[in-house]
Amino acid sequence: MDDLRNIAIPTDPEEALAAVVALRRLADRIERGAVRSALRQGWSWARIALALGVTKQAAHKRLSDMAADDSPA
Amino acid sequence: MFKRIRSKLHDMGTIKRLCERAEAHALHDQQREPGAEHFLLAALDLPDGTARLAFERAGAEPDALKAAIERQYGDALQSIGLMGNVPDEMPLSANPGTYQAAPSGQAIMQELAATRRDHAPLLGAHVVSIVAGLPQGVAPRALRALGVDPAVLKSSADAIVGTSVR
Repeated sequence: MDDLRNIAIPTDPEEALAAVVALRRLADRIERGAVRSALRQGWSWARIALALGVTKQAAHKRLSDMAADDSPA
Repeated sequence: MFKRIRSKLHDMGTIKRLCERAEAHALHDQQREPGAEHFLLAALDLPDGTARLAFERAGAEPDALKAAIERQYGDALQSIGLMGNVPDEMPLSANPGTYQAAPSGQAIMQELAATRRDHAPLLGAHVVSIVAGLPQGVAPRALRALGVDPAVLKSSADAIVGTSVR
């Protein structure tokens, strides 16, 4: 894992903002993958929400399609 | 007048196809709301072929755009010292309810609406011209990653639009 002290924040705002966009996208992907795994392991939405530090309603609203995507075709 | 109505109906069909393809590209990119880069990819899918022509005349390979979009994300992460593999893509379903574009996608649609009187008819090159004129964001970064100057691409698209006006 990268040491956060090694992260160099660009001084050029365009580069720094592009990094923010890429980080958000990466975080979204990690989140979706983790929620999918959690659902497969039988986690409840309440437990997922607690782990993400959001309300159950917020987690369900944003990520509930993971349950639908996960169901057998 | 009949010609104008027919052109308007044609443009409505083009916009529908553009929005549907942009959404499909966004979902493939694991995003629910299409941004300008997804509308650019959608323009390349339009059957009029003018978006692809604009890319080719600007010296860019249209089929390489998707990889360039992905590459600019990787470049941005590398610029802060983060290396590594992005998790594999997973399927994403469409948003139920009304169509919603990301702010950069909304800007494209608003500009298309504002310039609709100049479309005769609406072409993929119109979309390319608008997206290539964006000063910031994923789309211009992806174009630079593709090795194309957005200003050159815009000129190319504008020239195609200019010759298509009847």
